[in-house]
Amino acid sequence: MALTTGPGEWVMLTYRMPRDPSTPRSSVWRRLRRLGVAQLGDGLVALPADARTREQLEWIAEAVREADGTAGVWLARPATLAQERELATAMAAARAAEYQALRAEAEAAVSLGDVERARAVRRLRAELGRIRRRDFFPPAERDAAVAAVELLGTSTTGEPHRADPDVVAT
Amino acid sequence: MRWATRQGVHIDRAACAWLIRREVDHDAEFAFVADPADVPADATPFDMPGVDLSHHGPDCTFETLLHRYDLTDPVLWRMAAMVHEADIDDSRYDAPEAPGFDLALRALSMVESDDRILELTGPLFDGVYEFFRRQLMLGREPA
Repeated sequence: MALTTGPGEWVMLTYRMPRDPSTPRSSVWRRLRRLGVAQLGDGLVALPADARTREQLEWIAEAVREADGTAGVWLARPATLAQERELATAMAAARAAEYQALRAEAEAAVSLGDVERARAVRRLRAELGRIRRRDFFPPAERDAAVAAVELLGTSTTGEPHRADPDVVAT
Repeated sequence: MRWATRQGVHIDRAACAWLIRREVDHDAEFAFVADPADVPADATPFDMPGVDLSHHGPDCTFETLLHRYDLTDPVLWRMAAMVHEADIDDSRYDAPEAPGFDLALRALSMVESDDRILELTGPLFDGVYEFFRRQLMLGREPA
């Protein structure tokens, strides 16, 4: 998103759901978290607008209505660049924390045996993909997390982990 | 019969169009609209917010179609896992091929029209059906 040309377009979801039952509420909450939304207020979230984010929020709005709630999807622009930057900064900080946690996990996994390390690489790559998918304003921490996972993928301890009978020397 | 869905088709709509032609209406014609209000009066809408043949609860539209038309073929349900994960990506199913199909459909939509995407993906979904059919019969990767 080019911040120099004025605030960009955002897609917003307004929603209200009954407190009970709680299952649809937590399902909606999990879906919003997975999308990486900015929480602007109670029942008000936002994402930079594109075809995918708009569609995802429209589906969640439908899920809210099916659970006897009310929901609306809106296209909007922050009135000032400063307001948009504030939003982008908060979203970038949330992703930065996720990248840092992932990097710490990758660094800790370096000392594992080959089998466990290969398993950790697969899991961390998948997790990295999920974080990148909701990363609209990539923070500096992203590159370090990517590098840590790739290093884990290419490094070997030099000591094959022999406790696992499935490990065959090649 | 005429059917209508949102323009800019991705995997769920492309796979649904294939499924409709295969199982529901062999002569189906598809219209692509920008807004739900533009659905032609004689068309059945699918994969649009607010219509019956669409996402419901955790289901994507392909799964909804299988439920609505009582399609219990396990091969179609294996394809549903692929479509669901490529579309929604919530780890409900184990479908390791899903990210590749997600990219392939997003890539096609950058260079081809919606009509053309249905033409191109029809044989692909025929092949995927055959692949999963053999896989389920053999209990292992076919060929």
